[in-house]
Amino acid sequence: MEGAIKTVVMQYLSSARGKESLGGKNFQKLVQGQLGNILSDTDSASAVKDMMKGLDDNQDGKVSFQEYLTLVGYLANSLSEQKSTASGHEEAPKH
Amino acid sequence: MPSELETAMESLIMVFHRYAGKEGRSGTLTRRELRTLMENELSGFLKSQKDPTTIDRIMKDLDANGDGEVNFEEFVSLVVGLSIACEACYRTQLKNTQTWNL
Repeated sequence: MEGAIKTVVMQYLSSARGKESLGGKNFQKLVQGQLGNILSDTDSASAVKDMMKGLDDNQDGKVSFQEYLTLVGYLANSLSEQKSTASGHEEAPKH
Repeated sequence: MPSELETAMESLIMVFHRYAGKEGRSGTLTRRELRTLMENELSGFLKSQKDPTTIDRIMKDLDANGDGEVNFEEFVSLVVGLSIACEACYRTQLKNTQTWNL
Protein backbone atom coordinates (compact mmCIF):
# COMPACT_ATOMS: atom_id res chain seq x y z
CA MET A 1 0.00 0.00 0.00
CA GLU A 2 2.92 2.31 0.66
CA GLY A 3 4.11 1.62 -2.87
CA ALA A 4 0.70 2.60 -4.25
CA ILE A 5 0.77 5.90 -2.37
CA LYS A 6 4.28 6.54 -3.58
CA THR A 7 3.13 5.97 -7.16
CA VAL A 8 0.24 8.42 -6.71
CA VAL A 9 2.64 11.09 -5.44
CA MET A 10 5.42 10.39 -7.92
CA GLN A 11 3.15 10.47 -10.95
CA TYR A 12 2.18 13.99 -10.01
CA LEU A 13 5.69 15.15 -9.19
CA SER A 14 7.19 13.76 -12.37
CA SER A 15 4.40 15.29 -14.45
CA ALA A 16 4.91 18.67 -12.75
CA ARG A 17 8.64 18.47 -13.52
CA GLY A 18 9.80 20.29 -10.43
CA LYS A 19 7.07 22.93 -10.50
CA GLU A 20 4.61 23.53 -7.69
CA SER A 21 1.56 22.69 -9.77
CA LEU A 22 0.50 21.16 -13.08
CA GLY A 23 -0.15 23.40 -16.04
CA GLY A 24 -2.70 22.50 -18.70
CA LYS A 25 -0.32 20.68 -21.00
CA ASN A 26 1.28 18.57 -18.31
CA PHE A 27 -2.10 17.76 -16.82
CA GLN A 28 -3.31 16.60 -20.20
CA LYS A 29 -0.25 14.41 -20.59
CA LEU A 30 -0.79 12.89 -17.17
CA VAL A 31 -4.45 12.16 -17.81
CA GLN A 32 -3.78 10.69 -21.25
CA GLY A 33 -0.81 8.65 -20.14
CA GLN A 34 -2.11 7.41 -16.80
CA LEU A 35 -5.89 7.45 -16.85
CA GLY A 36 -6.71 6.43 -20.40
CA ASN A 37 -8.17 3.08 -19.39
CA ILE A 38 -10.56 4.24 -16.69
CA LEU A 39 -11.62 7.54 -18.23
CA SER A 40 -13.23 7.99 -21.58
CA ASP A 41 -12.54 11.12 -23.60
CA THR A 42 -8.93 11.52 -22.51
CA ASP A 43 -7.99 12.04 -26.15
CA SER A 44 -10.24 15.04 -26.38
CA ALA A 45 -8.34 18.17 -25.40
CA SER A 46 -11.56 20.01 -24.60
CA ALA A 47 -12.82 17.24 -22.33
CA VAL A 48 -9.55 17.29 -20.40
CA LYS A 49 -9.75 21.07 -20.18
CA ASP A 50 -13.26 20.85 -18.74
CA MET A 51 -12.08 18.31 -16.21
CA MET A 52 -9.24 20.60 -15.23
CA LYS A 53 -11.66 23.49 -14.73
CA GLY A 54 -13.78 21.27 -12.53
CA LEU A 55 -10.79 20.42 -10.34
CA ASP A 56 -9.34 23.89 -10.15
CA ASP A 57 -10.79 24.94 -6.79
CA ASN A 58 -8.64 28.02 -6.39
CA GLN A 59 -9.12 29.00 -10.04
CA ASP A 60 -5.47 29.64 -10.82
CA GLY A 61 -5.63 27.75 -14.10
CA LYS A 62 -3.40 24.96 -12.77
CA VAL A 63 -3.92 21.71 -10.95
CA SER A 64 -2.32 21.70 -7.51
CA PHE A 65 -1.34 18.53 -5.72
CA GLN A 66 -4.46 18.76 -3.54
CA GLU A 67 -6.66 19.22 -6.59
CA TYR A 68 -5.00 16.21 -8.21
CA LEU A 69 -5.71 14.14 -5.10
CA THR A 70 -9.36 15.13 -5.36
CA LEU A 71 -9.40 13.55 -8.80
CA VAL A 72 -7.59 10.40 -7.67
CA GLY A 73 -9.90 10.06 -4.67
CA TYR A 74 -12.98 10.58 -6.78
CA LEU A 75 -11.86 7.98 -9.32
CA ALA A 76 -10.90 5.47 -6.62
CA ASN A 77 -14.35 5.90 -5.06
CA SER A 78 -16.13 5.31 -8.34
CA LEU A 79 -13.99 2.28 -9.14
CA SER A 80 -14.63 0.83 -5.71
CA GLU A 81 -18.36 1.37 -6.04
CA GLN A 82 -18.38 -0.27 -9.45
CA LYS A 83 -16.57 -3.25 -8.01
CA SER A 84 -18.81 -3.72 -5.00
CA THR A 85 -21.92 -3.44 -7.17
CA ALA A 86 -20.47 -5.93 -9.61
CA SER A 87 -19.63 -8.42 -6.88
CA GLY A 88 -23.07 -8.12 -5.33
CA HIS A 89 -22.23 -6.30 -2.09
CA GLU A 90 -25.07 -4.02 -1.17
CA GLU A 91 -23.20 -1.11 0.30
CA ALA A 92 -25.20 1.68 -1.24
CA PRO A 93 -23.15 4.81 -1.87
CA LYS A 94 -24.41 7.74 0.17
CA HIS A 95 -24.25 11.24 -1.17
CA MET B 1 -2.68 -2.54 -20.04
CA PRO B 2 -3.43 -0.46 -16.95
CA SER B 3 -1.02 2.40 -16.22
CA GLU B 4 1.01 2.74 -13.05
CA LEU B 5 -1.49 5.17 -11.56
CA GLU B 6 -4.43 2.94 -12.43
CA THR B 7 -2.66 -0.05 -10.91
CA ALA B 8 -1.96 1.97 -7.76
CA MET B 9 -5.64 2.91 -7.39
CA GLU B 10 -6.64 -0.66 -8.00
CA SER B 11 -4.30 -1.91 -5.29
CA LEU B 12 -5.62 0.64 -2.77
CA ILE B 13 -9.13 -0.66 -3.41
CA MET B 14 -7.97 -4.27 -3.05
CA VAL B 15 -6.16 -3.56 0.22
CA PHE B 16 -9.22 -1.87 1.68
CA HIS B 17 -11.57 -4.71 0.77
CA ARG B 18 -9.14 -7.38 1.88
CA TYR B 19 -9.17 -5.99 5.43
CA ALA B 20 -12.77 -4.76 5.43
CA GLY B 21 -14.01 -8.27 4.71
CA LYS B 22 -12.55 -9.84 7.83
CA GLU B 23 -15.28 -9.02 10.34
CA GLY B 24 -18.35 -6.82 10.85
CA ARG B 25 -19.84 -5.27 7.75
CA SER B 26 -17.89 -6.33 4.69
CA GLY B 27 -17.70 -2.89 3.07
CA THR B 28 -16.26 -1.06 6.08
CA LEU B 29 -13.25 -1.27 8.39
CA THR B 30 -13.85 -1.82 12.09
CA ARG B 31 -11.33 -0.39 14.54
CA ARG B 32 -9.55 -3.74 14.68
CA GLU B 33 -9.46 -4.12 10.90
CA LEU B 34 -8.08 -0.60 10.54
CA ARG B 35 -5.40 -1.40 13.10
CA THR B 36 -4.37 -4.59 11.30
CA LEU B 37 -4.31 -2.77 7.98
CA MET B 38 -2.09 -0.05 9.36
CA GLU B 39 0.23 -2.50 11.07
CA ASN B 40 0.63 -4.64 7.97
CA GLU B 41 0.44 -2.10 5.17
CA LEU B 42 1.72 1.16 6.62
CA SER B 43 4.44 0.13 9.03
CA GLY B 44 7.05 2.19 7.22
CA PHE B 45 4.94 5.36 7.15
CA LEU B 46 3.37 5.25 10.57
CA LYS B 47 6.01 4.36 13.08
CA SER B 48 3.88 5.17 16.10
CA GLN B 49 0.89 3.05 15.05
CA LYS B 50 1.52 0.66 17.95
CA ASP B 51 0.29 3.35 20.32
CA PRO B 52 -3.41 2.57 20.92
CA THR B 53 -4.33 6.25 21.21
CA THR B 54 -2.99 6.85 17.69
CA ILE B 55 -5.39 4.37 16.17
CA ASP B 56 -8.30 5.83 18.14
CA ARG B 57 -7.44 9.30 16.95
CA ILE B 58 -7.05 8.23 13.33
CA MET B 59 -10.30 6.26 13.51
CA LYS B 60 -12.15 9.28 14.87
CA ASP B 61 -10.64 11.60 12.28
CA LEU B 62 -11.57 9.30 9.42
CA ASP B 63 -15.07 8.37 10.52
CA ALA B 64 -16.80 11.35 8.93
CA ASN B 65 -20.32 9.94 9.20
CA GLY B 66 -19.80 8.85 12.80
CA ASP B 67 -20.98 5.25 12.41
CA GLY B 68 -17.93 3.84 14.21
CA GLU B 69 -16.49 2.21 11.08
CA VAL B 70 -14.44 3.44 8.14
CA ASN B 71 -15.96 3.10 4.68
CA PHE B 72 -13.99 3.40 1.45
CA GLU B 73 -14.73 7.07 1.03
CA GLU B 74 -13.41 7.73 4.52
CA PHE B 75 -10.40 5.51 3.84
CA VAL B 76 -9.58 7.70 0.84
CA SER B 77 -9.06 10.60 3.28
CA LEU B 78 -6.32 8.56 4.93
CA VAL B 79 -4.69 7.98 1.55
CA VAL B 80 -4.95 11.69 0.74
CA GLY B 81 -3.47 12.65 4.12
CA LEU B 82 -0.56 10.24 3.69
CA SER B 83 0.02 11.41 0.12
CA ILE B 84 0.24 15.02 1.27
CA ALA B 85 2.72 14.04 3.96
CA CYS B 86 4.79 12.09 1.43
CA GLU B 87 4.64 14.75 -1.24
CA ALA B 88 6.84 17.17 0.69
CA CYS B 89 9.31 14.45 1.44
CA TYR B 90 9.53 13.04 -2.11
CA ARG B 91 9.77 16.56 -3.53
CA THR B 92 12.89 17.19 -1.46
CA GLN B 93 14.32 13.84 -2.46
CA LEU B 94 13.77 14.61 -6.13
CA LYS B 95 15.28 18.05 -5.80
CA ASN B 96 18.40 16.55 -4.34
CA THR B 97 18.84 13.94 -7.01
CA GLN B 98 17.53 16.04 -9.91
CA THR B 99 16.13 13.06 -11.74
CA TRP B 100 12.63 12.81 -13.01
CA ASN B 101 12.88 9.27 -14.28
CA LEU B 102 10.85 6.88 -12.23
